[in-house]
Amino acid sequence: MDLSEEQLIRYSRQIILKEVGGIGQSKLLESRITLIGLGALGSPAAYYLTAAGIGNLKIIDFDVVDLSNLHRQILHFTNDLGQTKTSSALRKLSELNPDCNIELVKDRITAKNSKELLKDSDFVIEGSDNIATKMLVNDTCSYMNIPFVIAGVLRFQGQIITVIPEEKTACYRCVFGDVSGVDNSMSCSQAGVIGLIPAILGSLEASEAIKYLLNIGDLLINQILYIDLSQNRFDSIKVVRNNNCLACGDNKEDLANKLNYDIGDSCEEKI
Amino acid sequence: MILVIAVKKKSDIKNIDIRGKVCPMTFVHTKINLEKMEAGDIIDVILDFAPALDNIPKSCETQELAQLISIKEIPNKEKKEWIMRLKKL
Repeated sequence: MDLSEEQLIRYSRQIILKEVGGIGQSKLLESRITLIGLGALGSPAAYYLTAAGIGNLKIIDFDVVDLSNLHRQILHFTNDLGQTKTSSALRKLSELNPDCNIELVKDRITAKNSKELLKDSDFVIEGSDNIATKMLVNDTCSYMNIPFVIAGVLRFQGQIITVIPEEKTACYRCVFGDVSGVDNSMSCSQAGVIGLIPAILGSLEASEAIKYLLNIGDLLINQILYIDLSQNRFDSIKVVRNNNCLACGDNKEDLANKLNYDIGDSCEEKI
Repeated sequence: MILVIAVKKKSDIKNIDIRGKVCPMTFVHTKINLEKMEAGDIIDVILDFAPALDNIPKSCETQELAQLISIKEIPNKEKKEWIMRLKKL
């Protein structure tokens, strides 16, 4: 793909990197990323993916902007209150970089639509606020062999794992097992969260996507990177793939077709 | 300094004119052209930004992209211009 003079200038500071170049930039412009969630994790991820020149970004979020979002969901502003997060995001991201084709999905991802929504993705970034959605994305992407990253945050802590199904790396289900029945009430709205931790984790998710697309550096595979900002801890916890894992193991199954993920309303109060 | 290593036929030598460009765009244009070339191919870069005479060869060397062959000042120009010859690695 030939880059225009304007694109050469826009992306010049990353093109001059040995790991990127014009070839890498063209790859980014031709890539397709799906981002689930335009909240605290999705906001920085969306910003940096768009700025870097991801050519095709599908963003999935059913929610509207609420005042309590604004301390951490930096894609949305005071004037956006009551607007859908997808429309709020579209305005900012389009203005940031018109090179990015943005597809909006104002819907909740469920077991019924996950395959349709995630197919044709070069990489998936999971940035929802509940474990059921994370597990659904894990199971769907693992079954469809789509590389993905999942992050979660609470209080001052966060964690992230990247999964490359074709390389048989450990998945979310290998680590956390069956999460059905897990109490979802301990979320950011109950326990609280400092905006900076999703800023870091969301940016790391975007970084994983870009590194994967450019085939550079090391990915956060077969490990959970655990971050505690209050204690200044950045710990890598090694995890091992479970060969019998129903999502990613040697006899993996189409779990999205079988399980009830109980993806209900977020427990955050709507004003 | 002129260091001549080897050249192909003049017709095989790629030319790019980046006069008017300053760093880092001088390296950006050089790099994207080098990416399209085969190892051993020669490129002549016409430029008028003096710091690039150092920056382009250094960046090319660091990134194992190309080797500097020669830098020649173009005579009889009001504003200084040069032709930098590089060989793709």
